[in-house]
Amino acid sequence: MLFSLRELVQWLGFATFELFLHLAALLVFSMLVALRADMFTPTLSWWLVFVPLFAADGLSTYFTAIVSIRLYQENEKRLAVLRLLWVLTVLSLKLVCEVLLCQKLAEQEQARDLWFGLIVSPLFILLQLLMIRACRVN
Amino acid sequence: MKMSLAQRVLLCWIFTLIFLIMLVLKLDSKINWNWFLIFLPVWTFDTILILMLVVKMAGRCKPGYDPRDGEQNLKRRLWHLAALLLKLAFCLTLCSRLEKLTDVWLTVVCVPLWVLLGGALVELGCSVFHYRRD
Repeated sequence: MLFSLRELVQWLGFATFELFLHLAALLVFSMLVALRADMFTPTLSWWLVFVPLFAADGLSTYFTAIVSIRLYQENEKRLAVLRLLWVLTVLSLKLVCEVLLCQKLAEQEQARDLWFGLIVSPLFILLQLLMIRACRVN
Repeated sequence: MKMSLAQRVLLCWIFTLIFLIMLVLKLDSKINWNWFLIFLPVWTFDTILILMLVVKMAGRCKPGYDPRDGEQNLKRRLWHLAALLLKLAFCLTLCSRLEKLTDVWLTVVCVPLWVLLGGALVELGCSVFHYRRD
């Protein structure tokens, strides 16, 4: 639409397969949220609802580790380290945001001090990083 | 005229940033605005995208355009237009549900989103598969 797949892969630094993985996780997650909210399964804990997102993060980390090791073996050391650092930064920011949101939803009473500005702050950092990367890729 | 990658990213970035800020303010009860107003950046961004798509598709009606050139292209653009409309439908129903204008199930609200995500998955899956076959 606005970006071609090639541009997206270059900009985000993720492989097409990883994008596919995260999209699939988002689909399953939204289904679980709808089920939970409509009270078909009121006993379903929020931590379980977030499992697809956590699983996608884990699989993506594993995939990146393998790709980086392969790159390292093929003597593309600089590329391997840069890719590993970038993907780990993005994934950890995403994970922090997800864990905080899940905690807020799961423990409404205890997590009253946890305001949404704090929960979304990793996303603000991520947005700045993505903007800087877009300028570099450009 | 074609925008560079940085310009397009900047366009997305500005709207996402404004939307996130307004969303956080609303969720923390710092402002008491209508949900439709909170989604204003989303409406604006979608309108811009739809206009851009329609203008590009209207380019086919120009005299001297060979329709055989862009058969594949047209299909892709139609899918993009459908995706945008699905996203718009999801946001609209979500807003009306949050404003308690309707009392439909969240499952019904999410149906356009699921269709959109399913379509995107198929498109991405095709490109992953093609890549491997090549």
